[in-house]
Order: sequence, then C-alpha cells, then structure tokens
Amino acid sequence: MRGNETGIRGQAGAEAILVEALSKTYQVPEREGGFGAAVRSFFRRRYKNVEAVQHVSFSVGRGEVVGFLGPNGAGKTTTLKMLSGLLHPTGGTARVLGHSPWERSTDFLSAITLVMGQRNRLSWDIPAADSFLLNQAIYRISDADFKATLNELDELLELSPIMRKPVRNLSLGERMKCELAAGLLHRPQVLFLDEPTIGLDITAQARIRSFLQEYNRRTGATIVLTSHYMADVTSLCQRIIIIHHGQLKYDGGLTDLSRRIAPFKLIGVALGEVRECDLSCYGDLVKTENLDGKQYIQVPAAQVTEITARILQDLPVHDLTIEDPPIEDIIERAFNE
Amino acid sequence: MLHIYRRLWAVNWAEQWQYRANLLMYLLYWLVSPIIYLVVWTTVANSQGDVKGLTANDFVTYYLVLLVVDQLTSDITLHVLASKIQDGTLSGELLKPIHPILTNTLMNNLAFKALIFIVFLPVWLVLVLLFQPDFSAVTWQNILLALPTCAIGFGINFLLGATITSLAFWTTRVYSLHEFYYALAVLFSGQFVPLVLMPPVVQQIAQFLPFQLMIYFPVQLVLGLLPPDAILRNFALGLMWLTIAYGLFNLVWRRGVRRFSAVGA
Repeated sequence: MRGNETGIRGQAGAEAILVEALSKTYQVPEREGGFGAAVRSFFRRRYKNVEAVQHVSFSVGRGEVVGFLGPNGAGKTTTLKMLSGLLHPTGGTARVLGHSPWERSTDFLSAITLVMGQRNRLSWDIPAADSFLLNQAIYRISDADFKATLNELDELLELSPIMRKPVRNLSLGERMKCELAAGLLHRPQVLFLDEPTIGLDITAQARIRSFLQEYNRRTGATIVLTSHYMADVTSLCQRIIIIHHGQLKYDGGLTDLSRRIAPFKLIGVALGEVRECDLSCYGDLVKTENLDGKQYIQVPAAQVTEITARILQDLPVHDLTIEDPPIEDIIERAFNE
Repeated sequence: MLHIYRRLWAVNWAEQWQYRANLLMYLLYWLVSPIIYLVVWTTVANSQGDVKGLTANDFVTYYLVLLVVDQLTSDITLHVLASKIQDGTLSGELLKPIHPILTNTLMNNLAFKALIFIVFLPVWLVLVLLFQPDFSAVTWQNILLALPTCAIGFGINFLLGATITSLAFWTTRVYSLHEFYYALAVLFSGQFVPLVLMPPVVQQIAQFLPFQLMIYFPVQLVLGLLPPDAILRNFALGLMWLTIAYGLFNLVWRRGVRRFSAVGA
C-alpha cells in the first residue's frame, strides 16, 4: 500500500535516509517451564528466530518529519536502532547521510542523535549542565557554537532553572527536556526520536512538540519519530510510515491514509425529546467514549449529505455533528489490514 | 582528545564522589586478603627466623609495597561495564563518537583510583606504624622507575578485564569467568605468596604471564631486588603483553558490538 508521494519526498537526490530491504532477526533462547526443561536447556539450548524487521524499504528526504507508527513489538525501535548504528541488521542496506550506520564512523555519529523517552542517557548523579559540557568536548563543539546552541535550546525548552540540579532530582518532563537538549547540542542533521513524549503530561507534550516543530523549521533537520500519541503525529508529521509484524504496511501522507483506510464519516446525533431511538437503520452504531450525550453512527463518506438530511427530517434532532473518524481508529485499521 | 579526557575526568570524579560508601566497601574487600597474607607470613617468619631466606622484614616491606601497587594496577571495568552491556544502557555511550571503553571506562577507573587513595593512604600509614618496616633498600630512582611499570601493569589488567567483560555480549556469566581470572592473578601475581617461594616450575611459568607484571615486578623493582637486565626484560615483556591485551580487547569488542542487541534501549 503506497500513498501519494508527490510533494512529500523533498527534492530528488536529497535523501537523508535510504533504506533497502532492511531485516533483523533475533535469536531468542526458548524453553518450556519446569525442572526437566531447565536441565535439558543447560546442555542444549534451543533458539527461536524472531523476525523483528523484514525487508523494510523506504527513504526520507532532508528536512522531512516522518512518523514511524506501529503497535508494540512491530519493529519500530529495532529499525531506529539499526539506523542509528546500535544494531547490525541481518539483511538489507541502509544509508543515513551517505553513511552505513553500523560502521559507526565518527562523522556519522556526530551527525545524528537518538533520543528515547523511556531511557535515561544523562548521568543520573550530576547536573545536566555537566553532561552538556562533556558533550561539548566529545562532539568538539566550539565555545561560541556551544553557547549559541545552548542559549537557543534554553529559550525553547526553558532549561536554565533545571540544568543545574542533579538529574535524579528532576521530574519526568524536566528530564526529557534535558535529554533532548543533550541530544541536540551538536546540532545533528538527523534526529531519531523514540517516544519522545511518553509519560509526559499534556502541557509538557505540547511543549516538546512545538519545540520539535520549531527546531525542524530553524535547522532543516530530518526527524523520524515514533509515538503512541496521535497528537504527536498529526501535529508534526506530514508523512507516516506504518510497520506491523516487522513489515511495511503504509508509507504516505496522513490525510491520504484516512481516505484510503476509512472512507467514512461519523455523524453524532443528540436527540431532543425521544431518547430511545434506533439510529442503526441510518448507519453502523459506533461506541464512543465521548460524554457529550450524542450517539454516533458511521456512514460511507459519499452518503453523508443524504443520510444527514434523512435524520434531520425523521428525528427530533437537538444537535448534529459530522466528524472524521479518530486517527487512532484509522491507524488501528491500517495495522490490521 | 585531551579535552575530552579532562571533561570525562570531571564527570567521573563527580560521580565517584556520589558513591563514597560503595568505594569504601571495595577498599576493605581489597585490603583484607593482602593484610591477612602479610600477617600470616610475618608470623611464620618470626617463629622460624626466616622462610627460605626471607625474613619478617622482607615480608612486611613486600606486602606494604604490594598494597600500594595493587591499588595502582587494579581494575574495576567488570563492575562498571558488564551490567551496561547486559541491560542495554551501553547504547547511550555507543551513540557517541568516541570509544566508550578507552575513554569513559578508563577515566572512571582512574577517578576511582584517585578517590580510593584518599582513604587508602591513611590506612597504609597506620599499617607502616604498626609493622615498622625497614625501607632502607628503597631508592627514589626505583620508585620513579616503578611508576611506568605500574602504568603498564594497570594497562594490561584494564585491557584484559575489558576483554573478559566484553564477553558479556555473548554470555551472562562473565562474573564467574572474571573470578577465575582473578584467582589466576592472585596466584601468579605474587599476591598469595612472593613468587620466589613458589615451586620452580610455577616460577618458570609465572615469569612469562602478564600477572606478575601487575604486582610482583613493580614490587621487586621498588624494593631494589632486580638487576638491570631483569628490569629491561620485564619492561619489554610488559609492552608485549600490553600490545597483546590491546589486540585481544579490540577483537572481542568489535565482534561483541556487532552482536549487541541493545535490549530495552
């Protein structure tokens, strides 16, 4: 399944990331429960092959922001780890800024970053400011550049009040800001972000999102991010790549996906007097967690006008809305297709 | 590069300070066995007059110098690195454009040493007051000469330790492997007993092994017990083992990183 790719690939030949038939198979030791099995496995271990990523191909243009989506265990993080040089693939090739990531050349490592929301990379015991200084040395950042970048990051993330405290004393949101700053001090051209907003409250999430948007606008950096929060995806990514069971399921625009996967709309109806009314003859009733007192039906996009007219004619309608199905539903449908 | 080491030193020094209690435990653990050997051998020597020509003072000076050399050449890589490989936290270091072991882990070792000496020196001085050694054979030239040999000894121990720790990429049982390495070290380095008291066959073998370069050679050098040709030979042997250890470490490390599965992170 391929979406409309014109206009989102960037200029030809300006690819930041080029992935071809990338595969990763893990060998996982396996044994049954119980004493006998434990003894047997001591002498002879059995392994099961787990194909985490299978023949995935895609490319990302310079300056693009791409959402990498899939359910847990789909192979997203494995792919990011391969692209950032942490993992060796079992098959296929990848070029990031012209480098083969797993050769781990200094030039490559100096030009990328991988920030993971669930993992702490900053030293726990010392203030983030000290880790920043260490990064300045490691990435050979000049004093002037370091100061300028740190000021910019400070302005966007409000680091001043938190970067002098030991990292262990920071809240999750504060820590994430420092993690991002530490990952961006060397002004990487490619950012791999694995769930950068996980566990954060709505305000902190929004702040990180607007920061990433602004960072992309200012520096033209390429961003590949995974997230389970659809708000991250809808507000940041022009393009999404969906993988499931290690295979690429979709690569294209977000609006295009809903048009393909879910060519239907939701009609929400609040009835004035008669509360007990069967809407199922107009379309499929949809369960919703909205507490607005409306009942929702799902109808084919092409018939929205006609069905709305019939409902308005037949029923004592108090309120009526026409909505796109939630993006979560669309993505879930795409996973399962 | 020097700048990187300076910063790494600052960070690791600050970190080690956070674990002062932990450090004290390590120190006690390290001091216990040499002090026991010291007490046992001096008691035996005192009761018999000497042990194969070694007097009580020979044992006291030997073990008091050994305590210092042991602190200088010891290595804590296993305790710092193995868990990082096993739980995947090594990822963070692998993302940086420097060799994590030859920079960060090395500086961590050195910061640990520097801090441990602050506690160790007073303990050592108390031992000196207690045992009243006769250090008249020790010269400044020998001490100065012993410094690079300690550096080489540490280098070998560090690289071999890092090699064994890197096996954590394959197995979760590196701790028992390292125990075996440590047992060999205690035996062949001259810690358990001065090598000169070992059976001739063992001495023959030990002189070619890297372990004596970590303790026995620097100690004998400080005590002025080695002729120039033995010093030269051991220097050459040290450089050879340093090269071998570096080659071995590089081989295992490179292959290990290829296997790294970055669990969790």
